[in-house]
Amino acid sequence: MLKTLNKQRPVRSRWKKLGQSILQNRWLYVLILPALVYLIIFNYLPMYGIQIAFKDYKAVRGIVGSPWTGMNGFKHFYTFFNAYYFGRLIGNTLLLNVLSLLFSFPMPIALALIVNNIRSQRLKKFTQTAIYVPHFISTVVLAGILYILLSPTNGIVNHLISALGGKSIYFMNEASWFRPVYIISGIWQNAGWDSILYIAALAGVDPELYEAATIDGANKWQKVRYIDLPHIVPTATMMLILNSGSLLSSATQKTLLLQTGGNMATSDIIGTYVYTMGLGSGQFSYTAAIGLFVNVVNFILVLSTNKISARMNGETLF
Amino acid sequence: MTALSKETKPIRQKAIRADRSFDLFVGVMVVLVLLVTLYPIYLVVICSFSDPALVTSGQVTLYPRGMTLLGYNAVFQNRELIHSFFNSVVYTVTGTMISLAVTMGAAFTLSRKFPGKKLLSFLFAFTMFFNGGLIPTFLTIRDVGLYNNSWVCILMGCVSVWNVMVARTYITSTIPEALYEAANLDGATQIQYFIRIVIPLSGTIIAVLSVYYGVAKWNDYWTGLIYLQTRSLLPLQTILKEILASLESSRELLMSMVSDTAAQDAELLNRAQIAKYCIIVVSTVPAVVLYLCMQKFFVKGVMIGSVKG
Repeated sequence: MLKTLNKQRPVRSRWKKLGQSILQNRWLYVLILPALVYLIIFNYLPMYGIQIAFKDYKAVRGIVGSPWTGMNGFKHFYTFFNAYYFGRLIGNTLLLNVLSLLFSFPMPIALALIVNNIRSQRLKKFTQTAIYVPHFISTVVLAGILYILLSPTNGIVNHLISALGGKSIYFMNEASWFRPVYIISGIWQNAGWDSILYIAALAGVDPELYEAATIDGANKWQKVRYIDLPHIVPTATMMLILNSGSLLSSATQKTLLLQTGGNMATSDIIGTYVYTMGLGSGQFSYTAAIGLFVNVVNFILVLSTNKISARMNGETLF
Repeated sequence: MTALSKETKPIRQKAIRADRSFDLFVGVMVVLVLLVTLYPIYLVVICSFSDPALVTSGQVTLYPRGMTLLGYNAVFQNRELIHSFFNSVVYTVTGTMISLAVTMGAAFTLSRKFPGKKLLSFLFAFTMFFNGGLIPTFLTIRDVGLYNNSWVCILMGCVSVWNVMVARTYITSTIPEALYEAANLDGATQIQYFIRIVIPLSGTIIAVLSVYYGVAKWNDYWTGLIYLQTRSLLPLQTILKEILASLESSRELLMSMVSDTAAQDAELLNRAQIAKYCIIVVSTVPAVVLYLCMQKFFVKGVMIGSVKG
């Protein structure tokens, strides 16, 4: 009798304590509730809906009621892996993202180093404000500007080319130009904005380090090389992890805007394919399966880059 | 003493020479960066005010020529554009206000200690790395009755987990815990503490978040494209997609200007071209102005919020 009492008491008081703590913090739950409800409806319910990737979606029977497909539910995946455009879609998506990452990634770092070394404070501030502006231009408008400036008949770029004696180029309708246009416009739009984090990292450098370096006879090039760059590495690693997680997902929204009949050979990526086949042709289950495949690959990529970076220099995202 | 200075002098001179070349290099790069960044924007603006014929033949490069407001006239006569502009204003203003309230509430909660915090943090963070994908999300939204409903434009993206994390970091790193204890001693409840102390002290991050959310809303064409069908509900950017992002000039835009019977076909086409520049200016000004107004909060707010917490 005594034994059980002794055993129960701490347990019961622990529950009581928990209950009290919950009651005390009730307003915290109220405050987080709207955000939680949003995530449940817009994120977790769709995750539950992923099951249609293993089913044959029938509108009348809904997500839960639709019948499972053959091959243990993996029919759609099988179809996709064996489709003749599978190689082209994967190749285009990977190449677009890898090239984009390769060329875009160093730009914000270079910008931050430049901005950090501007001596006039006013010019520094002006430059900072100016390079952030393109980020606030919408993708649609960016695409619109590209269509106008790169037009083969009256775009300014082609006027310049023909003035220099060249032949005008149909930039927006040629497969070989899709990737350069996509990547360069991406750099123009985002390099400045992405440099914020690096500028912040550089602002945190102890000024004494520069003074010590000056006394040691270091010039400014050397200060950038031996003080600024090492201070940027942690931020750069974190950004690399974040970016590598989206190697297969890619900017569907922008690609869709730049996609034309002429550049399909390079602009046909998984995202736009899912959009046109899923929402355009109503192949919900098949395209949901493709989407799931992409998500799983991306998820694995984030986890593995995170692990690799943890082992290399102790920088992790979570 | 003299021996030492003799020895160090050439080294220092060398360093000074290297410093000069460095400053020159930085100067050249700054000019280049500013040119590349600002010239396309400047070009679009001057073209929107210039004579259509001169613009299409590539003669407007440095300053506006043959000043005219023909393009802007065409834009403001297009009812659908104006209507979608107001739709966007409504979606952006309501959406941003809801986003701010919901985000700050969640951020405050996650900045405190309470039972279940770990689970909630995980539920929030997980959505950054995994999602249902386009099709399951589309079907879910349709099933909950938000398809072709203007609320979808207001609610979609109203919680960005990234922004919640930024706001939480801001709260934990700028508002001292002693304030909470003092408020607690005075008998304030958590909600009173949140409204009377946390919110007033979070001005910077609220300004930054309102720009993030506001601009994202204003620039979003995707939600309208996927979830709306009725044309009168569409936001500006979705309409712009049809007009700007295609190889052909938009027919509607041409039609809206046909009323001018004196104009020739070629001239009409030119004018439609100019109207595109004007649309770009009109649709981009709100976002950029919002940014420029809030700009002073940026460096500070972004820095404090983005420090790894």
